[in-house]
Amino acid sequence: MLTADEFFLIAHNDTRGRAKLHPAATGLGLAGGLLGELILHGHITVSAGQVGVLDRRPPADALAHTVLDQLVGEAQHQSVRTWLSFLAQTAVTAVGERLSRAGVLRRQESRRLLRTSVTYQPIDLNTVAWPATRLRALLERVEPPSVPDATLLGLVAAAGLTREVLWSAGPRAHHRLSLIIPALPDPLKELVAHTEAAVGAAVLRGAP
Amino acid sequence: MSSTATTERPSNVSEALARGRLGVPSVIFFVLSAAAPLTVVAGVVTTGYGVIGVLGIPLAFLVVAAVLAVFSVGYVAMARRMANAGAFYAYVARGLGRPAGVGTAWVALIAYNALQIGLYGTIGAAAAPVLDRLFGITPQWWIVALVAWALVGMLGLLRVDINGMVLAALLCAEIAIIVLFDLGQLGNPAGGDVSFAAFAPENFFVPGLGAVLVLAILGFVGFEAAVVFSEESKDPKRTVPLATYLSVAIIAVVYALSSWSMTVAVGPDRIVEEAGTQSIELIFNLAGSHLGDTVLTIGQALFLTSVLAAMISFHNTTARYTFALGRERVLPAAFGRTSPVTGAPQAASLAQSVLGLLVIILYAVNGWDPVLQLFFWLGTSGGFGVLLMIATTAVAIIAYFARNGEQETLWRRLIAPGVAAVALVAIIVLAVQNFADLLGVESDSPLRWVIPAAYPVAALLGGLWGLSLRRRRPDTYVRIGLGAESAAVVVAAPSSVTAPAPTAKARR
Repeated sequence: MLTADEFFLIAHNDTRGRAKLHPAATGLGLAGGLLGELILHGHITVSAGQVGVLDRRPPADALAHTVLDQLVGEAQHQSVRTWLSFLAQTAVTAVGERLSRAGVLRRQESRRLLRTSVTYQPIDLNTVAWPATRLRALLERVEPPSVPDATLLGLVAAAGLTREVLWSAGPRAHHRLSLIIPALPDPLKELVAHTEAAVGAAVLRGAP
Repeated sequence: MSSTATTERPSNVSEALARGRLGVPSVIFFVLSAAAPLTVVAGVVTTGYGVIGVLGIPLAFLVVAAVLAVFSVGYVAMARRMANAGAFYAYVARGLGRPAGVGTAWVALIAYNALQIGLYGTIGAAAAPVLDRLFGITPQWWIVALVAWALVGMLGLLRVDINGMVLAALLCAEIAIIVLFDLGQLGNPAGGDVSFAAFAPENFFVPGLGAVLVLAILGFVGFEAAVVFSEESKDPKRTVPLATYLSVAIIAVVYALSSWSMTVAVGPDRIVEEAGTQSIELIFNLAGSHLGDTVLTIGQALFLTSVLAAMISFHNTTARYTFALGRERVLPAAFGRTSPVTGAPQAASLAQSVLGLLVIILYAVNGWDPVLQLFFWLGTSGGFGVLLMIATTAVAIIAYFARNGEQETLWRRLIAPGVAAVALVAIIVLAVQNFADLLGVESDSPLRWVIPAAYPVAALLGGLWGLSLRRRRPDTYVRIGLGAESAAVVVAAPSSVTAPAPTAKARR
């Protein structure tokens, strides 16, 4: 499963698809996931706070393709923070739709108080709960996780979800997590750090 | 086809991010609603006349406004180059070094907590007439304070910032009722003619001047917050400075007018005595006799909401300060964590609430006076702490621009902050001399030294803590002053997130 997809499921790990994470952090974490997917597949890189495109060939995934097109098309914007803010605005819908297309979630519109709200309901509860369970298990193991998994762990920590994922894990798991993030490859480490800074800045701003 | 077509190409990213950007009015509303004008006019000014016994409060507001406006010139210029722009200690860390920044942060924690907790002392008095009218009850002040405390603590944890529209409506109502009160007072001058004695310099340059100036500073606390919205504003170069200057100007006019009109209605010779006996009631007693019962009731209700709004606002400010320091790891990292579902800075908010509860219990058990000894003492002590921070920041701005100010004008980088620094230091010297007047205690009371000395001691301890961080935890040391942005410092040069100026990038 792709990084942003797993992040989405962890942030909405609930039988009715409700959010476990406040909207600002959810959006930024998902935006980090989308950029992370492009880094992991070698399409872009991040260094000194700037996004650089390495490979313009279209990615297999349609959403990743769209994001890459936006990065290529608006080359005047290179700051990671700008792209995180921009992608965060639409990330919940974009990733929710991607998971719906994949048959993991079911899009549901509901009208309440004259307002239509869209939620993404789980189809199979086990599938939805799997990413969090998997991450927990990863941290129980001695061998280091793969780079995509380490990236996901980094984004989960950056968004402030660590305790939700590790609620039953011992201090050793927390200690492993604190070693995994600094060991990420530089572009991903930087992406995670900027996501954490953006989430913190959103908290400091208070309600928009 | 034309050459401009490539440079002015429409950008989805810019447009999407520009949506919902704040203009000048939104920023001003935010700043003023934190300033809670009715709390200052009905609570601080009346108590101030009674305790300090100096007539020159209206002139003090104008003088302090002028000083703060000059200070803001350098402040907003430096804010554009800052991460964590809302916090004075960040400027000090950049300008005077990180240990000095930690010292200032310690001062800030004491000052903002004092300002917030002081408000619990006035909520009893603010709620008394409303509760009496609604339910015919007059509970002890600390019962009301505990209810307010629980409300503030709960809203802080749930991160229910009061809706911006509600705050704006309350603010407009507050200012409207203040102006109405003022007109009533000016229409009924004591002895038949309107006296301008409160603006006379001979009633200003008296012993106690320093105390009055600190009181005026207290009224302006919150003006520094406009710079927080640099990134969210439509045009940071214009919106934030304009909003800062306008906020200072509006506060100055409203407070100077109201404090002056009080002296007109009561009589300049009797204001000190009347304010001393009637305290917070004074302005409402005047309104009741001038404008009738309906206006009085509305005014009392608005005073209650004003104090509540100020409590919530200062609670959130203090909690966010603590959160930012937790993110930097200057305070334990636990303070930098948020509740996942609400995004509230949980530990920071709880810590502030616990401190508030302890103080309420302390005052209730000892039977100390809530309005004078809690509201006024902690309020003015907090105001004095903010004064110290503003003065240090002015010096830090000069030091920072001496190293990085090539593109700024001489006025912005040296003259304005220099003038402000001299004026602010003069106010501090006067305030320390007059601290007994400020508190309304005898000149040999130990409090008049203990409170002003608490800040330098805290600053010194903070500075030493900063120095020990440099030695023991260099990775924490480099994060000092960056607030939430400190997370990005591990990988990137701070200039990439702070300074858009091209020279800064070239230097790195």
